[in-house]
Amino acid sequence: MKTARFLGISLLAAMSLFVVACTSEEPPTPTPAPEPTATQVPTVVSTPPPSRAERPTPVSSQAQVAPELLQTPERVGDERPTGGVFRRLWADPPTLDPALVTDGTSYDIVIELFSGLVKLTGDANEPIVMDLAESYSVSNQGRTYTFILKEDLKFNDGSPVTASDFKWSWERASAPETESPIVDEFLGDILGVQAIIDGEATIADGIEVVDDHTLRVTIDAPKPYFIAKLTYPIAFVVNRDNVVSGGENWTDEPVGTGPFVLKSYSIGERMVLSKNPHYWGDPAYLDEVQLLLAGGSAMAMYENDEIDITGIGLADLERVTDPNEEISKDVIEVPPSFRTSYIGFNVEEPPFDDVHFRRALNFAVDKTLVANAVFSDLVRPATGPIPPGFVGFNPDLKGLEFDEAKAQEELAMSKYADADSRPRIVITLPGTGGSPSLTTEVVADMWRRTLGVDVEIQQVEWATFLQDLHRNRLQAFSLAWQADYPDPHTFVDVLFRTGSSINNTNYSNPEVDALLEQANVEADPVRRIELYQEAEEMIVEDAAWLPLWWGVEGKVLVKQHVGGLTFPPLSVPIYQHVWIDG
Amino acid sequence: MLIYTSRRLLWTPVLLIVAGLFIFSLGSVAPGDPAELMAGQRADPEAVERIRERLGLNDPFLVQYTRYIANALKGDFGESYRYRGRDVWELLGPKLRVSLELNLVSYVVTLAIGLPLGFWAAMRQGTWKDPTMTTIMLLIYALPVFFTAPFLILVFALWLDWIPVSGWSGMFSTRAILPAITIGLPGAFVFMRYMRASTLDVLGQEYVRTAHGKGMGHMTVNRRHIARNALLPIITILGFSLAGLFGGSLIVELIYGIPGVSRLALEAVFQRDYPVLTALTLLGAGMLAVANLVADIMYSVIDPRIRLRS
Repeated sequence: MKTARFLGISLLAAMSLFVVACTSEEPPTPTPAPEPTATQVPTVVSTPPPSRAERPTPVSSQAQVAPELLQTPERVGDERPTGGVFRRLWADPPTLDPALVTDGTSYDIVIELFSGLVKLTGDANEPIVMDLAESYSVSNQGRTYTFILKEDLKFNDGSPVTASDFKWSWERASAPETESPIVDEFLGDILGVQAIIDGEATIADGIEVVDDHTLRVTIDAPKPYFIAKLTYPIAFVVNRDNVVSGGENWTDEPVGTGPFVLKSYSIGERMVLSKNPHYWGDPAYLDEVQLLLAGGSAMAMYENDEIDITGIGLADLERVTDPNEEISKDVIEVPPSFRTSYIGFNVEEPPFDDVHFRRALNFAVDKTLVANAVFSDLVRPATGPIPPGFVGFNPDLKGLEFDEAKAQEELAMSKYADADSRPRIVITLPGTGGSPSLTTEVVADMWRRTLGVDVEIQQVEWATFLQDLHRNRLQAFSLAWQADYPDPHTFVDVLFRTGSSINNTNYSNPEVDALLEQANVEADPVRRIELYQEAEEMIVEDAAWLPLWWGVEGKVLVKQHVGGLTFPPLSVPIYQHVWIDG
Repeated sequence: MLIYTSRRLLWTPVLLIVAGLFIFSLGSVAPGDPAELMAGQRADPEAVERIRERLGLNDPFLVQYTRYIANALKGDFGESYRYRGRDVWELLGPKLRVSLELNLVSYVVTLAIGLPLGFWAAMRQGTWKDPTMTTIMLLIYALPVFFTAPFLILVFALWLDWIPVSGWSGMFSTRAILPAITIGLPGAFVFMRYMRASTLDVLGQEYVRTAHGKGMGHMTVNRRHIARNALLPIITILGFSLAGLFGGSLIVELIYGIPGVSRLALEAVFQRDYPVLTALTLLGAGMLAVANLVADIMYSVIDPRIRLRS
């Protein structure tokens, strides 16, 4: 859920990191930043807004597969040098308060400063590992989680971390005064939390401190994905003294448990992270991470050794990838993140209230051709919402593959077969760039050629887009969604369940809802995945979306003296493993 | 004149209140909701409502504006929406300082190039040198910033490796050079033209002829009689420029990564950060009012024939 914020300005963005991805048009967001996790993102290139998730940032999140290919060189056996400074462009985070994070720019910083019981790894085989917790056990038919904390945990000011700090942190995150926009979604399963959110209580019975090292959490139903949600910053531990005494600006000097400490921050200028001397794990190699927030000409800054990593703009792509150029040695392939771009249809608005019409639009688009001809295969055509490499991905899902005959057949069956009586169709995309999304234009052209369906493409800046999206005023929209946590729930349930607050298509299918309800509490992991896949297939057949692409592969430039940098497909703390050759 | 000045000053707050009203009203007219932006895409509507309530966005527009002005009179311009809990002036202060410095160095560049060139050209009126220089400067004036900036970066930072590409560490650091040239160089044309015209004016004056007639050296006449007198009108023009001192230069700030006021303003637009936008507008209107006043007063000081009457 993070929204990728916009900080950016498009220009900025444009100048700054354009990720290579840019090539595709989708994402690139601008700012240099971050990207993280989940959320939707706007697809347009230019601006960067925010969506949740998506910013393409540069580096961060992307990547999923094959970690060995994606990192800067690992020198096995060598002593890694400590010290040094890693510099990159970033954007001002909207917040550093873990309870308020919903965007990628903030997320990627917050996970370096704070931490929680468990954390993400980005590794599909072991997506979640213990962080501050030593271990946990599940009892009471999947309703009670008992966490044992590691010994001698300390905040970065040296004070001890105990189970009651977690209880306080979660209750504080839930309190109405905190104004967390997402607490309901991430902690609302815990008994008693809802009452706090509603302002009827201040403590939650579901969060029990057994002793200093033991925390017992009880949730309202056996939900296997609950543990995955605890990787989100809202479940991180904060320091009571720090929050209470710091007032509204307590995050100016945040006391956390992450591998880094906020050393300084001047808005719009620079943020400096330094290593946390009290971190429970191996200390970071770097002395500092410097995030430059004022923007600038990313490529020029990179070439002038002012930053250590940058995305590659289309204009520079050919030059920097030319093997004769020295700089081509710096190019690193970044694998796609767990993100799916799509065009969403508001199924309550004509003509998208007709399933045949939606299916016709799906069948009419030759995604393989677009991926190949327009994006040089940097994107992979999507058949459904769940991306490859993600838990629950269904390789057998065929989706509504390109088929002109079927497209025309479906159109003929729909009540909007007659062009004259068909309502005007507007597809809205967020962005402020000069040129709207190439993808959308190509898709619109295919609709026109195959079906004779004309659409208008309208681009609005993020604030307006968001408002219209929330008010269900958009007939069809182009966005992308990135996983928040490694569970199919983050795709299938939150986007398509009837009544979900971010079900922006208003899709509603009782059969799907029933499957989701069952899947959400199914204890057998294999069966659970099958249920989600079944639901996914029905959603695809109902064509609430035109799924477009999975991920966006990209290329970035990383200085040769940087080691240990990884590009996981979900946002995880990365700087603690980075070192600089002296 | 005292009466005139104080009357003008008294009008200034009225002007500011009207200007502020204009920007502030955008909040109720423009699409997009600050609370929604703060809460993010996934926020549940109750959370958004709580934020709206806290920010007072549910109150009628005039109530909001009156409250804003009342607070502003006490020196409290509110908190930024985008940077939660951050006082607007605390946010603006450092950015304004950067923009002020940037504009000052740029003026230095403008004047250092424009004035001597204008003088030089005027002294060569009627030769090929005058139109040639004017043409060259006109060409430079016509170059868009988004061409000159990357070009300067390419040459001085990447090829020659003399100067850093980005960032800001004060007006006396090497980082200030390229941005100052980028902003200042086109302006040099304008001042060159002023200076040239003004110098030609002076050249025709009798006292210049007299000075020459008395056998004074060329250099002395040039310096003491021509240049000095030619500069007088230019000072008035400089007074007008005062208004721009705190203004940013968006493209230059973006390209060189300078943490100035324009980036903040642009971000405030996208984020619907009305407190910041309103404060910036008030500041801009205030500067303009003061600059106009200063220019008027300067006229009367320089040319006593102009009387300030109310």
